[in-house]
Amino acid sequence: MRKPLSAFMVHAILGLYTLLALFPIVLVVMNSFKAKRAIFNTPLRPPLPSNFDPIGYARVFDDSSLAFYYLNSITVTVGTIFFTLLFGAMAAWALTEYKFRWNTLLALFLSIGIMVPIRLGSVAIIQLVAELNLINTLTALILVYTAQNLPLAIFILSEFIAQIPKDLREAARCDGLSEYNIFFHIILPLIRPAMATVAVFTMIPVWNDLWFPLLLAPAGGKQTITLGVQQFLGQYITDWNAVLAALSTAIVPVLLLYVIFSRQLIRGLTSGAVK
Amino acid sequence: MAEVRIENLKKSFGAVEVLKDIDLHVEDGSFVVLVGPSGCGKSTLLRSIAGLEPVTDGTITIGGRKVNDLAPAQREIAMVFQSYALYPHMDVAANMGFGLKFAGTPKAEIEARVGEAARILQLEPLLKRRPRELSGGQRQRVAIGRAIVRKPQVFLFDEPLSNLDAALRINTRVEIAKLHKLLAATIVYVTHDQVEAMTLADKIVVMNHGRIEQQGKPLELYYKPANLFVAGFIGSPAMNFFPGTVTPDGIDLGADGMLAVPLPAAGLGCKVTLGIRPEHMRIAGDEGGGPRLAAVVELVERLGETGYVHLRLPSGTVAIAEIRGDTGLRTGDHAAVALDPAHLHLFGPDGRRIS
Amino acid sequence: MAQGTYLRLLVFFLGPAVLIYSLFSIYPLLDTIFNAFYSRQSDGSYLWNGLGNFQTLLFDPTWSGPFWNALKNNFIFFLIHMCVQNPIGLLLAALLSLPRLRFRATYRTLIFMPTMLSVVVIGFAWQLILSPLWGVAKMFLGFFGLGFLFAPWLGVESSALITVSLISVWQFVGIPMILIYTALLAIPDELIDAATVDGLNQVQAFIWVKLPLIWPTIGLVSILTFVNNFNAFDLIYAMKGALAGPNFATDIMGTLFYRTFFGNQLQLGDPSMGSAIATMMLLIILIGVMAYLFLVQRRIQRYSF
Repeated sequence: MRKPLSAFMVHAILGLYTLLALFPIVLVVMNSFKAKRAIFNTPLRPPLPSNFDPIGYARVFDDSSLAFYYLNSITVTVGTIFFTLLFGAMAAWALTEYKFRWNTLLALFLSIGIMVPIRLGSVAIIQLVAELNLINTLTALILVYTAQNLPLAIFILSEFIAQIPKDLREAARCDGLSEYNIFFHIILPLIRPAMATVAVFTMIPVWNDLWFPLLLAPAGGKQTITLGVQQFLGQYITDWNAVLAALSTAIVPVLLLYVIFSRQLIRGLTSGAVK
Repeated sequence: MAEVRIENLKKSFGAVEVLKDIDLHVEDGSFVVLVGPSGCGKSTLLRSIAGLEPVTDGTITIGGRKVNDLAPAQREIAMVFQSYALYPHMDVAANMGFGLKFAGTPKAEIEARVGEAARILQLEPLLKRRPRELSGGQRQRVAIGRAIVRKPQVFLFDEPLSNLDAALRINTRVEIAKLHKLLAATIVYVTHDQVEAMTLADKIVVMNHGRIEQQGKPLELYYKPANLFVAGFIGSPAMNFFPGTVTPDGIDLGADGMLAVPLPAAGLGCKVTLGIRPEHMRIAGDEGGGPRLAAVVELVERLGETGYVHLRLPSGTVAIAEIRGDTGLRTGDHAAVALDPAHLHLFGPDGRRIS
Repeated sequence: MAQGTYLRLLVFFLGPAVLIYSLFSIYPLLDTIFNAFYSRQSDGSYLWNGLGNFQTLLFDPTWSGPFWNALKNNFIFFLIHMCVQNPIGLLLAALLSLPRLRFRATYRTLIFMPTMLSVVVIGFAWQLILSPLWGVAKMFLGFFGLGFLFAPWLGVESSALITVSLISVWQFVGIPMILIYTALLAIPDELIDAATVDGLNQVQAFIWVKLPLIWPTIGLVSILTFVNNFNAFDLIYAMKGALAGPNFATDIMGTLFYRTFFGNQLQLGDPSMGSAIATMMLLIILIGVMAYLFLVQRRIQRYSF
């Protein structure tokens, strides 16, 4: 084929954008390791023995609450993923397998959540959480995030469950297994790939969310790392070392996770959005 | 229409050589079929002729013009793809005229050519439909129509019948043969089905592992296969093979016995493979001499008037012989199989034919 | 299966999900809409106000000013995403889907990285980069001789919104890129071969063959952008705080809602008006989705495989 776009141009465009995408990140992480003067005078130079200075990190870790915040984020994220997957799979199974009268209606009801942003109900959510005495608890966050992610999880898992051959389920029934056993011992193991996808897909937005931690758990040591970094930044705004170090500690774990799970994540995005 | 010449063609994907020194001449107006097992390189060769694949070495000439450096559209070829490759978002008429539109052909002429092709292929009532509203056979005709409209020098077909069901395949095969005569077209056709090759081709090119094993008229390949591979590929059911050694008394087939046959030019003690087609074997009664084999009937398949009997020989080899009518044979019977001496093939240790 | 056991099964499997979802997703939404019809009295009680809150929001100068400003800004925000983010995503996807591209997976992974990061991180990192104090941006422009173009864009009213929008675009380009890329992969190679034989070059093949076939995906990307943009809050809050300065130049519906409901140094929190704003946001998003479903979706049907 005649190629008006030579290989060189293609790689040039892609390469240029990749640089654009990575540049800010690299800049921040690089400079987090440098002495303050070096940050200002030679921001583009990588950390060398001459300008190396991890003082920012010292300050970050000094503020020991940040370590707690990490734990909070992990708890909330893992908790959300667990309940989303469990309840989502159960609901997806019931909707796919059992033909009852309001099946379609229920499915429609659940799928509203995919399009409609849950944040708009924040007013009532705050009141509800307050009434349940769950302000400044991680439980509140887990519940809200689960509610937020259930619709999409159910949708993706339903599609997957529908692909399991009917014969498998019939055979299990003939073998005398109870419905509960069939679900937990046969279906769940079979949809592991889809569950992994949903998990990865849910993980990042929950970890990075600022809104609900801000609204529901802004104090009492229950902040998530995202909120914690935001507050830290506000506090240390003139201390560039600390600020850059804090940003880096927020960036690096997420990136590592991402690189490890990138394939599943992309699969999750595409299967979820192709409605 | 034009002739196609391929000389010393080589193609490699990195370190892997997929086409090794191909020499092929397609005469003007002839129907040449490239046939062979999966991975033999036939599709790659076709795509190289089309210009969809670059070649590593050698020349391709179409109508006297060297086309190695020309884009497909400039080679004046047209291609019919295995999955038809119709543009889903355009109707049949637009599909057929698409290439012309980009060549800048005036609208009136596009309409005329599309109309003519539609008439030849009986597509007129379908011109306004979308591909997804058509059946497999109809889509295939549209794909052929698109090729015709281009008025190419050479038609290239890439396994066009593979996606059709059996009955439709036979019908369409006949249509393609008729089309060839009607348009006096030069056609290069790829298939893995040797029945299509035998019925459609003026010349068959059998390929294996990137090489041409043999090329020639269909019956030439049938009666005089140049090597074991071609012998086993052409003809259905496949030719029966028996390994043996040349002795003064004939061909020694080991446990299966000795066949008294006129000795070939090969030396004594030479290891050979004897080949004979099922059609040239008969279950013998008591009449006449001629080379025979003793075997036990394993299975009788009746297809109506003709049938095939699977015979197990003492060495364990299973041979298939054609039968007509009711031979009364049952599994477990002993039978003597007569081999037609005029149709015995002998292949040397390298697999090549010994005259 | 007995009726009783059947019911028990359904409750067991569907119960938890439906309960949590209804309680924390649907009920709050309905409650918010409901709340919007009440107004808070000075003694803390609520009185039915019908459409009063909405009238105030839309027409009362104290409220309508910020409201229409936020709405206008949100539209600009959305427009910038549609005009910058999606075409770039399309371009990158088109390049990534070219056959025989080396380093394809690497490019894909790296370009998608910003989407992974928290908005807090992104917001702050860019603030640093664009800050006149650090001068990195100015230095960079200087490399191209464009140093004179530099200005504290984030702090200037006229450019703040555009700057924030572009940063948001920078973060989220990966999503349309991936979605369109996947759609492009689904196009059979033979179709492109046929286009080649028909005489089209790469660019023509893209415009006339690939593009029509990915319209549904482009439509999807557009509506996702719309919903996300009118729901946005995080980046602006992280970079500019609840006041969305300078002088509300970066105020969008999300920040307006947050500020109204929770109050700030300038005003007391007003849950009723906050609910009204939230209801308006919901309405706008619903109208957008409906419009998409009825106008765009139907036309796109024609192009399906």
